[in-house]
Amino acid sequence: MPPVPFTQGSLFGEADAIGYGSGQVYDEMVNGQGRLRPHWQTFMSSLGPLDSEQMAQRWEEARRLLHQNGVTYNIYGDPNGMERPWPLDMMPLLLPAHEWKAIESGLIQRASLLNAILTDIYGPQTLTRYGRLPPSVIHADPGFRRAVHGIRVPNDVHLHFYAVDLARAPDGRWWVLSDRTQAPSGSGYALENRAVIAKVLPDSFRHCQVERLSGFFDTFKETLFSIAPRTSAAGRLPRVVLLTPGPYNETYFEHVYLARYLGLTLVEGADLTVRDRTVYLKTLSGLEQVDVILRRLDADFADPLEMRADSSLGVAGLIEAVRAGTVVMANALGSGLMESMAMKSSLPTLCRHLLGEELRLPGVASWWCGNDAERAYVIDHLDGLVIKPAFPSLSFEPIFGAQLSAAERSALTERIKRRPWYFVAQEQMALSTAPVWQDGRLQPRPLVLRVFLCATPSGGYAVMPGGLTRVSSESGRLVVSMQSGGGSKDTWILAPRRADVAANQPRPSALAMEPTASGARPSANDLPSRVADGLYWLGRYAERAEGALRLLRATQSRLIDSNMPGATLQQRPLLDLLGSLGMIPAELARVTESGTSRGLRDALHAAVTDPDHPNSLRAQVLRLHRTAYSVRDRLSMDMWRVVSAIDRQTQQPKGRMDAASLLLRLDDAMIMLAAFSGLEQDSMTRGAGWRFLDIGRRIERSLHMVALMRGVHVADLDRQDEPMQAATLSVLLELGESVMTYRARHLTSVLRTPVLDLLLGEEANPRALAFQLAALDRHMRALPSQGVGTGTDPTGGALAIVAAARNSLERTDAMASSEALRTLLDTLAMTLPDVSNFLAHAYFSHAFARSA
Amino acid sequence: MTPPPSAPASGSSGLSTRYRLRHATAYDYGEDVPISHHLLHLTARPHPRQRIRRSLMTIDPVPAVRTERVDYFGNTVTYVAVQEPHRTFSVIAESEVEVFDPPALAPDDSAGWEHVRDSLRGLTGPDDGAEITQYCFDSALVASSPELLDYVRGSFTPGRPAVAAAISLMNRINHEFAFDPTATTVATPLAAVMRNRRGVCQDFAHIAVGCARAIGLPARYVSGYLRTLPPPGQPRLVGADVSHAWASVWCGASAGWLDICPTNACIANRDFITMAWGRDYDDVSPARGVLLGGAGHGLTVSVDVEPLED
Repeated sequence: MPPVPFTQGSLFGEADAIGYGSGQVYDEMVNGQGRLRPHWQTFMSSLGPLDSEQMAQRWEEARRLLHQNGVTYNIYGDPNGMERPWPLDMMPLLLPAHEWKAIESGLIQRASLLNAILTDIYGPQTLTRYGRLPPSVIHADPGFRRAVHGIRVPNDVHLHFYAVDLARAPDGRWWVLSDRTQAPSGSGYALENRAVIAKVLPDSFRHCQVERLSGFFDTFKETLFSIAPRTSAAGRLPRVVLLTPGPYNETYFEHVYLARYLGLTLVEGADLTVRDRTVYLKTLSGLEQVDVILRRLDADFADPLEMRADSSLGVAGLIEAVRAGTVVMANALGSGLMESMAMKSSLPTLCRHLLGEELRLPGVASWWCGNDAERAYVIDHLDGLVIKPAFPSLSFEPIFGAQLSAAERSALTERIKRRPWYFVAQEQMALSTAPVWQDGRLQPRPLVLRVFLCATPSGGYAVMPGGLTRVSSESGRLVVSMQSGGGSKDTWILAPRRADVAANQPRPSALAMEPTASGARPSANDLPSRVADGLYWLGRYAERAEGALRLLRATQSRLIDSNMPGATLQQRPLLDLLGSLGMIPAELARVTESGTSRGLRDALHAAVTDPDHPNSLRAQVLRLHRTAYSVRDRLSMDMWRVVSAIDRQTQQPKGRMDAASLLLRLDDAMIMLAAFSGLEQDSMTRGAGWRFLDIGRRIERSLHMVALMRGVHVADLDRQDEPMQAATLSVLLELGESVMTYRARHLTSVLRTPVLDLLLGEEANPRALAFQLAALDRHMRALPSQGVGTGTDPTGGALAIVAAARNSLERTDAMASSEALRTLLDTLAMTLPDVSNFLAHAYFSHAFARSA
Repeated sequence: MTPPPSAPASGSSGLSTRYRLRHATAYDYGEDVPISHHLLHLTARPHPRQRIRRSLMTIDPVPAVRTERVDYFGNTVTYVAVQEPHRTFSVIAESEVEVFDPPALAPDDSAGWEHVRDSLRGLTGPDDGAEITQYCFDSALVASSPELLDYVRGSFTPGRPAVAAAISLMNRINHEFAFDPTATTVATPLAAVMRNRRGVCQDFAHIAVGCARAIGLPARYVSGYLRTLPPPGQPRLVGADVSHAWASVWCGASAGWLDICPTNACIANRDFITMAWGRDYDDVSPARGVLLGGAGHGLTVSVDVEPLED
């Protein structure tokens, strides 16, 4: 498609036609005369006329895709901040090939420089010894990790993954704002942005010849596998894991996403253990050695033995393993030091000294107050400067000197003089702007571009051809941050013109992610014990919620409609059950008149929605939600969405809710729980993880059935009159979801023996106890035979209990007499919980570390 | 495992005492623990006024892993991992150490403290001023504060020689803070000690370190032991029979590091045996461990400092 001439009128409203891009700052799309920059022409013409309805449609599509892919981020300290939808603008940022080339070479140089500085500081420290760097730069910084000083890292590479925030000055040059060297975030979001925008703007994407991102991640993956300390001599592939602080971290979504994308096992600190100065992953089939750890955990939290003792996120002994050289950390522990702002003003000198080159990409002018001359300058020029913390671990908001009163100025000067090394000053920089689609038109918004680099297997660095562009929500904002409500953009690096490409490398898309030998998906025995534990409890809580819900729904429907056949009589066993299961107070369960009492209605309401009531439906759902969250990376997006929906449906209503709408809510939640169960069966691979989930469900359903039988005193049924017997049995059939089956077989009367047979003994009924026991037997025989930490057969004890229970059900006289039935139920109630205990002991005995 | 013996510095007085040291630490975890990791600062570090004659560490149960290294501050650190189920863990560190008296002081002849502070900036080069200046900054347990600055100004008056000022600080802490083992734990923040003016030797050492840093001088936290038997006719020294702690303040190139003990108001002499030093207690705690499981733990520590007859 030939580029069509750009006409401004079709793009902007009248007001913007004059104002856009002609201000003091650089605009990415239009030049100072308000004309479209050349590298935007193809894009704008491919976009067609900017019809706001069509843009709104695309926007909807983008939102739908983001939602579908579950792209979220968390905001600290905000109760509603978990799982925020990811804000993405539809207009990508475009950068031409020649401009990108310059950025790329500047960034590769900078990565090499920072790595060389780390190598010196964590090694011979010649830079400080010979006065090229003030020693206080490292010693005043809480981010300097003394514990890892002197540890050699393979090939002297400390920095394997690195991100830089860039901004463009009014003169058009790119400047470095800050470096991210600890555990940089954002690359996964950049990938996700690309996936969405390429789908929403397919024509533009094709016409613009956009550089692909996947090649970069291929390289990174190769690097991760290449730094493993042991070669394939041991006859197995290196094991690379991604260490996350867990689901409450700001960018947990990205940890899950990258682990999947790179084919790494996602682990938390509790999944790892150090033995013999070697790191192991605790899996269902035992301990598996770990060779490389891609960490998203700050070094401070990595090892409670040698770093922060109060960290429960790390692994005790990890640093000793690194010291022994049995495991490699990426980035190396201590790499966060290069985020220090105090070092920035020394970089040009250090670059000359260490690399023999001039620093290609300038940093924003900064002065470190730990240096006498620089401090004097800062104090004299406060008006024009922004004061910031020198070290990332000190957090205070940037102070704009120009906005201070005389008193504030002198207070700040005092603060600086008392601890000068904690402060840097920077020139205030006017950010460039890019068009954002907002309120039905394009508007210029300030931007910061985050670019990512990775070490290559051959010892250099590669730059991701793209990046995460973040835009401020308001035009005048000086700070751009996702945490304070900004948005993001895809970043398109435009390939050189076709003629140039032909002679070049094969298109990066040819290197698209294929599962390669080195990057095989994590195998089944990679299932960390913690995850198996989480899935097991997920199954139990889902089933427990379902049991509570059926009971509440059965009761509620009879309270609303006393004309229901048998309603009045059936209330009796239902209230008994609610009482015996601790869902309503026992004294309310004993009321004899029909359930119109105010107290009972309130208690039932609380049993549904009260989060502080330990046995309420709401409390079960909260447990379900929390557990699902902890194993989120193992659930499909649909499963996660269902859990979120159940969570919403059982929240305490704003106002008072009448009985009928409560019942409707219960119906809706029931459908969602059924959907969850369906997804378990239909969308989960039959691996050990699924097995544990299903074991949890089967155990819970067994226990619940026994509790129901005992709760209605089924063994003493013959003491009731005949209508009451029928009412009780009908309730059991309903709660056991077996009414239809029963009616199909025994049209009329509800009788003890066939009901008990159907709910307890019948292996073909998926609600019957016998069915659960048969499933448990099958599952447990299929589990890995080697449990963690025990010498004995882990499932032996559990299998014996299940076998005994099945035997007792199969005996012909098991339910014949009241006495036999009572003994049977009592025995089951006593022995079945031990199945859970045996499994927990065998597979989940990974108590958390604590300090002594 | 015995570190090479170090010769006493030429500057020492030549008077010395030999000690037999025994530091026993025993944990009872209440139930079997499958694995535990420990970091021990229980071997005396190299020191210009100390000579280590013998050093032995006995660990029960015998650990699967035991390594030794020198940390960033020059201390000897032992890493230990017990990987079999165990209910108790004990370490007995025994050594024989000879300690020499420091050279005689001339408190009023030393350099003025401002001069000492200002000359820190010139400290670079291969002999590494960083080894000294690294003790200027805030650390995990000791951060300078306006309160500490106020307090230290009472001793570090303008132009006063650094040694005299440090001794004054030591004496004031000794007089104005009450020794009270019930007042603090290892978790009590420095600000609370400063407010309540009570604590034990670790707290007083932290106060002294924080004060020195507040006026810009490097200061170290020193952990070690104090001789137990009082010389005849003199009062028994507080802090005997347990681990002891004091502070070391940089007093300039000629006076060097001055070890002051605010708990007993004296300059550390050959009655003080140095085990380790760092920025604060966190860098040098004698035993630090992380274990899996366990029901709680009982800890028993006993220290014997026995002077030997020649």
